[in-house]
Amino acid sequence: MHKVGEQCCFDGLADRPGGAFLGVGFQAMRDPDEELVRRVGAGDKRAASELVRRHLPRMVGLARRMLGDAAEAEDVAQEVFLRVWKHAAAWKPGQAKFETWMHRVGMNLCLDRLRRSGRHGGEVSPETPDVLASATKALDDRQRRDRVRDALQKLPERQRAALVLCYYQERTNIEAAEILGVSVDALESLLSRARRTLKSALSAERADLMSGIETS
Amino acid sequence: MNEARFMELLSAYGAELSRWPEDDRTQAEALLEVAPHRIKDIWESERAFDHLLALEKDAPASIALETRVLAVSPDRRTARSRRAAFARQWRMPQWATGGAIAASLALGFAAGYAGEPSSTDTEYAKMLTLTGAGAGSVFLTAMNDPEN
Repeated sequence: MHKVGEQCCFDGLADRPGGAFLGVGFQAMRDPDEELVRRVGAGDKRAASELVRRHLPRMVGLARRMLGDAAEAEDVAQEVFLRVWKHAAAWKPGQAKFETWMHRVGMNLCLDRLRRSGRHGGEVSPETPDVLASATKALDDRQRRDRVRDALQKLPERQRAALVLCYYQERTNIEAAEILGVSVDALESLLSRARRTLKSALSAERADLMSGIETS
Repeated sequence: MNEARFMELLSAYGAELSRWPEDDRTQAEALLEVAPHRIKDIWESERAFDHLLALEKDAPASIALETRVLAVSPDRRTARSRRAAFARQWRMPQWATGGAIAASLALGFAAGYAGEPSSTDTEYAKMLTLTGAGAGSVFLTAMNDPEN
């Protein structure tokens, strides 16, 4: 079984659309990108534009949440699309979903960068007392968002990857487990730990939000 | 689904049921309907936390990035040359094709002779030598030589 840590380099077919990784439930699904990718492979610029509109924001989001840097996230998203352009003509439908493949490529690029730069995320213990817990002033959504962003960046790499794929990239548990090369059970364990850690790190925001709900 | 499994899934996926494993969603809904207040309170608290996490949304990609990405997307001419390059990858050079045919023939003869019931090991080794099977057959001949 692959671990996230072993996926930093691309291995043959897994790096190509329709390549070696298969989810149990993928084969029966109709890939919504199939026709578009075929047209991109034939050199249709309008199809390329549609594919970019559909997936570029999500690829930037994935990379930004993993790397915590907007410029670096754009580089990764661009690199993902360079690979799409390169392999679109050889795309074989009916194996892995195209979007899942893109996520795998994007996630691997992010993990490579994190390893090369020695950033693995903080090992924040859920028991760590939160310095923000004493903050009493009400927070607006923008401040809360920034705190969530910071807390995400402090998560250990594997927990962050699991959470980003399931919560923000809207991958199913099976797809996310495939992308990370772990079992669904292991994915659920990563998600639980990530959520626990975040709850601790965001306890002030959480209390603030709950009081807002109770008083409204 | 029992309460323990429900809590396990809630702690992993949160209160947004569309994130839960598909097979568990209906049972979770049924369990939640008849659940005691204690469970419903936990559910509400998880739902509020989901709301907090959802504040971290995707911003639209910048126009500059979109332009850069699209500028290098394949047009009809580059797509044709890429397809041709892909086809070339799988085409064997002539010498390799010839070699493969010769090797297939040799193996075919070898397999045919090997199936002969009257063949002894020594004859089989000689046959391999005759069909040009190379160093392996010389080794086999030597091994079967009664004087060795």
